Amino acid sequence: MWGLIKSVLAAFLGVQKEEQRRKDFSASSPWGFIITAVILAIIFVVGLAGLAIWVAR
Amino acid sequence: MRSLWRWIVSSSVFLSITSVHANGWNMPRGVTDVSGEIYGLHMTIFWICVVIGAVVFGAMFYSLFRYRHSKGAKSANFHEHTTVEIFWTTIPLLILVGMAVPATATLTKMYDASEADLDVMIIGQQWRWRYEYLGEEVAFTSNMSTPRAQISGEEGFGEHYLREVDEPLVLPINRKVRFLMTSDDVIHSWWVPELAVKQDTIPGFINENWVNINEPGIYRGQCAELCGIDHAFMPIVVHAMEEAEFDAWMVERKEAMKQEALGVDREWEMQELMARGETVFESICAACHQSEGQGAPPAFPALAGNARLIEDREWHIQTVINGVSGTAMPAFRNTLNPVELASVVTYTRNAWGNDTGDSVQPADIARRLAQ
Ligand code: HEC
Ligand SMILES: [Cu+2]
Repeated sequence: MWGLIKSVLAAFLGVQKEEQRRKDFSASSPWGFIITAVILAIIFVVGLAGLAIWVAR
Repeated sequence: MRSLWRWIVSSSVFLSITSVHANGWNMPRGVTDVSGEIYGLHMTIFWICVVIGAVVFGAMFYSLFRYRHSKGAKSANFHEHTTVEIFWTTIPLLILVGMAVPATATLTKMYDASEADLDVMIIGQQWRWRYEYLGEEVAFTSNMSTPRAQISGEEGFGEHYLREVDEPLVLPINRKVRFLMTSDDVIHSWWVPELAVKQDTIPGFINENWVNINEPGIYRGQCAELCGIDHAFMPIVVHAMEEAEFDAWMVERKEAMKQEALGVDREWEMQELMARGETVFESICAACHQSEGQGAPPAFPALAGNARLIEDREWHIQTVINGVSGTAMPAFRNTLNPVELASVVTYTRNAWGNDTGDSVQPADIARRLAQ
């Protein structure tokens, strides 16, 4: 689980180790990455909106 | 080699000094706190870009030169370096966030038009600005006053060619003035660089903006949204005054409005109407119908020697009051007051050999407008 999150966060930043990339790409199914990424993206957007609302309050 | 370096250094120093300080090269610092902040942001971001450019291109050109092929340099061959990649991703991120924080603070300030001391309605019209001091019963239109002869090249350019008006927007310094901005016809944009205000005026919408001017002076601007044939001919002039001077102006201007209203009731002499009508015609109508009333057919009909106009007084008056819908001929019922309407109709009925000899009284127009 933590490995999944780390890989998705690395993709958010756009930097990943080649060795880790190879490992991720040999996973049997992409769904774990896709679902984690969607959840993290929602958290990111909600967090950003929350920050903006808090600052403008 | 040394002289080349000297040339590069001196010319870049020259460029940076002129671009920062020479008048007209850079955006102005302006005369409000907000305009000063915007200028500060602009300069900060400019220098950040300069430093980034110098570092990036410096590194590139240094490497190109230092590790050139003719000196036997061998290219490195590696595919990843996570630390460096994280480094060059995070640094720009931090720079962007660092620029966004002060920019957002200024933006928030710019949008806070609350608690104003004075409200001014700014209305764009093809092709002039109308200013209404809300709650003060003072309102007027501000027309470009550059003579048509200068535009057509028969006369030399004046000092404020295309940037002068018959009546400027007068504002007090040290008071928060809120602008409520809209348009009667198409989208215009009210732009005065020294005030750091550039706001679209949109028919059916009211946009807000505000200024608090620090220094008295005359500030010029233009319409900044292409709005038709005379887009270039609707300049803005703001006259910022000391507060006491402004209050005196307001009293005087109110009195003038009252006199003008009184003028509606009395009988006007032919001469008076003609003189007033000529001024109105020059500033409003000549843009389309030309100074001598000769028009510019087929787009703009001639008024001089116009048979229907000479014969049909009633139609003439109605045309000027209500315009001709679906054409470029605007309705003037909201732009001109009864005195101006009566005098411009009288003028066009008697100038350039139209010589009908009849006149139209302001009271007559006022009656029609009230219907
Ligand atoms: C934006 C350009 C424009 C301006 C400014 C303008 N007019 Fe016109 N005017 C026209 C056009 C176009 C027509 C022709 C309308 C039509 O097709 O029936 C016209 C028609 C007229 C007519 C009827 C003439 C005819 O033969 O159809 C009169 C009278 C007239 N204008 C008077 C004025 C007066 C007085 C003013 C100033 C207060 C003025 N106009 C300002 C564009 C303009
Ligand atoms: Cu305009």
